[in-house]
Amino acid sequence: MEENKENKSQAIIEVLDFGPLKITGNFLLKDLKRNKEDSPGEIKLCICGKSGNKPYCDESHKK
Amino acid sequence: MERNDNQFSGGRRYKNDDITVYWKPSACVHASYCYRELLEVFDPSRRPWVDMNGSTTEKIIEVVNLCPTEALAWKWNDEEKNESVGSDQLNHIKFRRPELMNSIDPDSKEQPVSVKIMADGPIVIKGNFTLLYNGTKKEVHDSMISICRCGVSDHMPFCDGQHRKAGFIG
Repeated sequence: MEENKENKSQAIIEVLDFGPLKITGNFLLKDLKRNKEDSPGEIKLCICGKSGNKPYCDESHKK
Repeated sequence: MERNDNQFSGGRRYKNDDITVYWKPSACVHASYCYRELLEVFDPSRRPWVDMNGSTTEKIIEVVNLCPTEALAWKWNDEEKNESVGSDQLNHIKFRRPELMNSIDPDSKEQPVSVKIMADGPIVIKGNFTLLYNGTKKEVHDSMISICRCGVSDHMPFCDGQHRKAGFIG
């Protein structure tokens, strides 16, 4: 029991089909390029390289 | 089994269900209050020299508070209780070792997952999390993955280092 608790999953990282990386749960986002830190609870990050609003997804992958 | 003796911040720390006692050997002046008052817990001839099961939480707190230096300090494991501790608790970490307040406990069971956006590089994710991709579900424990952010990787969704060759900026 104790060991399961220690390794309890804190966040869900989901690669959406043909889309962004969706992260939900207890996580700390650190953007080393833009020097920002945040605990948003839920975000969609661009993994196709096309977003005009990096690191976030702006749905450019659909274009 | 949870470990109750491990290295931490310039010394060691010892836990029971209620509190954590921090020991910083470099600060000890051998005033010897600890083992004179409570040998069942603080026995310099034993290894580990602190046995948190040797007495009650109340008594351990009382004796840690006698230490005239920051060699021994303590905190409640319930973080909320630490905020309201009064200054009569001389050796609570809030007064003796304030640098330990809000320090990230490596044993914490609720440590947030670290998500780092690397400059012109991948997303590096570290901790305990659930990864869902291509219809598979993977539980990742105390480990690290690197997710592509440039869209060029041959091993999507994972980074394979090609962002450099591709000249990815973002």
